[in-house]
Amino acid sequence: MTTIKFTVNGQAQSLDIDPTTPLLWTLRDHLQMTGTKFGCGIGMCGACTVHLNGNATRSCLIPVQAVDGADIATIEGLSESGDHILQKLWVELNVPQCGYCQSGVLMAAADLLKRIPNPSDEEIDANISNICRCGTYPRIREGIRRAAQEMGA
Amino acid sequence: MTQMKMSRRKFLITSATVAGGLSLQLVPIDAMAATGKNGGQRDSALSPWLTIQADDTIIVTVPTPEIGNGASTQQAMNIAEELACDWQRVNVEFASFSREYKQPGSYAVGMQPFFGGHSTDHERMPYTMQLGASARERLKLAAAQRWNVSITEIEARNSVLKHLPSGRTLRFGEVAAEAASVVLESEPSLKPQSEWTLLGKTKPHKVQLPKVVNGSAKYGVDVTRPGMVYAALRQSPVHGGLLKSHDPEAVLSMPGVRAVVVIDPSATPGSPVDASPTFGFEGSECRSGVAVIADHYWQAKKALDALPVEWDDGLGAFWNSDEKIHERQDRILDRWAGAPLTKSGNVDTVKAAKTIEATYRTPFCEHATMEPLNGTALYTEDSLELWHSTQDMQQAFWVAVDESGVHPDRVTIHQTMVGGGFGRRVIGDDVRAVVAVARQYPGVPVKVIWSREETTQQGAYRTQLAARFRAGLNEQGMLESLEGETCFSGMALNLGFTDMAYAFSGAIPNVRLAASNLPMHIATGAYRAPCYNAHAFTVETFIDECAVAGGIDPLEYRLKLLADWDPAWSHCLKLAAERAGWGKPLPKGQGRGIAISNWPHSGEKQAGATVCAVAHVEVSQEGKLTVHSIDFTFDCGRTVNLDAVLAQLEGGIIFGLNMSLNEGLTIVDGAVVESNFDRYPMLKMADIPEIKIHLEALSGHDRFAIIGEAPVGPIGPAIGNAIYQAIGKRVRSTPFRKQDLSWS
Ligand code: FES
Ligand code: FES
Repeated sequence: MTTIKFTVNGQAQSLDIDPTTPLLWTLRDHLQMTGTKFGCGIGMCGACTVHLNGNATRSCLIPVQAVDGADIATIEGLSESGDHILQKLWVELNVPQCGYCQSGVLMAAADLLKRIPNPSDEEIDANISNICRCGTYPRIREGIRRAAQEMGA
Repeated sequence: MTQMKMSRRKFLITSATVAGGLSLQLVPIDAMAATGKNGGQRDSALSPWLTIQADDTIIVTVPTPEIGNGASTQQAMNIAEELACDWQRVNVEFASFSREYKQPGSYAVGMQPFFGGHSTDHERMPYTMQLGASARERLKLAAAQRWNVSITEIEARNSVLKHLPSGRTLRFGEVAAEAASVVLESEPSLKPQSEWTLLGKTKPHKVQLPKVVNGSAKYGVDVTRPGMVYAALRQSPVHGGLLKSHDPEAVLSMPGVRAVVVIDPSATPGSPVDASPTFGFEGSECRSGVAVIADHYWQAKKALDALPVEWDDGLGAFWNSDEKIHERQDRILDRWAGAPLTKSGNVDTVKAAKTIEATYRTPFCEHATMEPLNGTALYTEDSLELWHSTQDMQQAFWVAVDESGVHPDRVTIHQTMVGGGFGRRVIGDDVRAVVAVARQYPGVPVKVIWSREETTQQGAYRTQLAARFRAGLNEQGMLESLEGETCFSGMALNLGFTDMAYAFSGAIPNVRLAASNLPMHIATGAYRAPCYNAHAFTVETFIDECAVAGGIDPLEYRLKLLADWDPAWSHCLKLAAERAGWGKPLPKGQGRGIAISNWPHSGEKQAGATVCAVAHVEVSQEGKLTVHSIDFTFDCGRTVNLDAVLAQLEGGIIFGLNMSLNEGLTIVDGAVVESNFDRYPMLKMADIPEIKIHLEALSGHDRFAIIGEAPVGPIGPAIGNAIYQAIGKRVRSTPFRKQDLSWS
């Protein structure tokens, strides 16, 4: 057990924890923040995507010792009241089906728009490599395009 | 409580005051009698379908789990159509099967009462709409009584009651409590479809979405209980094998580890009463294995990985390779001795100008729901509480009873959100494993999580099958005879094969379609459109081969075969072809292919959902396949929520793409080789072709056919047929990524 300190959505956390515990399970089991999802555990699906010091990162591959002192943002902190432009558009455009992959998709998409405010289709393809078994890809693309437009407007 | 008999239907609508609001129940008349199936009405607690609270909040209780298809939203829409309420105030809650058990029939209305689909079930829609109408009239009557005016002077709209002559208004919530005790003279009749304002007119998003996008929606794997511990499990890699030995001492001292328990199929206590699982218990049996219980999941998983385990593979190890499976299948098919299920004319007396024969294969496929299998249970000596992302609550309930041995009176089940179903969460083998682990750690809630690897290797797969066809063509190239036999493992359901439209459209005088079984040890189950998902490929590829052999354009060929069939099929074919530019020249290495199918009523006119796809593909000389676009047409009669239908079509098309391009499990020494997405790849954003869904083939026929499954079918064969047009190679098995498509 090691004491690890970091912030999640702006709140300071201090945990006595097995330092090899992935950040994903730290969030889910130790902090009861279950918005970040477990899909594969090997970095392939993106369901566990969070922002680590502002960058989209797959939390199943990051041991918690690697985030000592870091700032983490999760889906629960993407906006104060669920009104990030992507969250609003995701509802309006009926993007999610089962919805399980979507916290990860939203975190990846928010990161993409921050870095590239008006991404091309190729840039969307290259940056959103999350798996959605329900096949919501066409609507994810539409949601990102609309968000880029509205933010640019 | 007041009661109202629904005309023509054997149900009563009863009302009650709940927390200052109105609550309505639907109660079958025979359940009102003193005794019923499970002892009749066991208690006086409510099983609300609809609750209107004093603050105007409307809660619709839905017996359909939400697996992503919008089934629960659909049911709320049905009620709201008649209720004249503010849609923004509508919430849904999942019904508890415990209520159904205690008061039989309270939620079981229509077919497969607790199943995810069928939200537009013709049997169920009238009930839900009647509830809305009944509530509206009760609210109007309560307002009329409060104002001392005639009910005919009152209009209900957008959750507001208005006295038209005076303009006075009341909110629904203000009279909800009074509405619970008014007495209607008779149940109102439903509006004609022509007056619907919500169904077929609006396209609301799924009601759960605000919670999905902020991370607060609770799926099974998100359940958190006070004092909860976690379990990781491993079951025999060869299905049907047994745990031979393991060494708990090796891991019991690892951090956080509390116990190592054995999952023993022979230890199932059995239900103390006659059980009524929706689909029976077969396929839900425990799989021999072992689980580690720890304070946290990561600790459980680490200890499980370190646990020495030996397996006795059992008979399944006989199947040492896929080739062995194929060889045995061919031996059976060579005999042409399968049980004939569809027959007309006499295929044996046909003198054909040309005979063609081909064999097609489709492999085992894993559902790969994004939410891995999991469940949470709290077992005590005389009670069981289960939280589960099941697709069928009735099945899950009875499996839980059977595996705990607890009397159903003391079993409670909580439906959570479901992170993908596709048929995987129906039979309840996952429920059984959760209960088998939890009952060995009583008094503490245990959350059992399958790793992705365990989820993949302990599937209940889309079965593998082979289908062989033989056709006799006449001088004109058309089919004089069609013979087919499918050899499958697992459930005997031959949808899309023995009921193929071509066998019923009257164009082929001699038909014989048969089925044979290859018993295997590998667990199989429903997978988005069972059997049809494979046979749309086998049938539509063979018909394409017949067209080519007959020297007739594949579109023309299908139109001829279906000339006297439900005209919607021809409309779908023609529209998809026209929009895709059928017949327009393409450069070498590119091609278009077409396919059409129907789920789940291929052999009937004006039934089910007819779907048609034209794929435009390109194959590089090295054999790299790119799908450029899919033009898609469909007829499900009418739609009640067009956007929900489109979402299901998009998802189904992509599911069909993934299934045909990527999916196929490899069997070595009886076990599944693939374990995670690195070896069982999923299409991603960059792989998705342009998908163009055209609406104009919708016939308007008076049905709202289910639509989630049908689109999976025609995608693979359309692509395979396009590959043939592009490079002249006929692809007779999936997944296409494993085929050699190189050309020169
Ligand atoms: S769970 Fe982390 S990438 Fe899949
Ligand atoms: S919405 Fe179900 S996996 Fe993406």
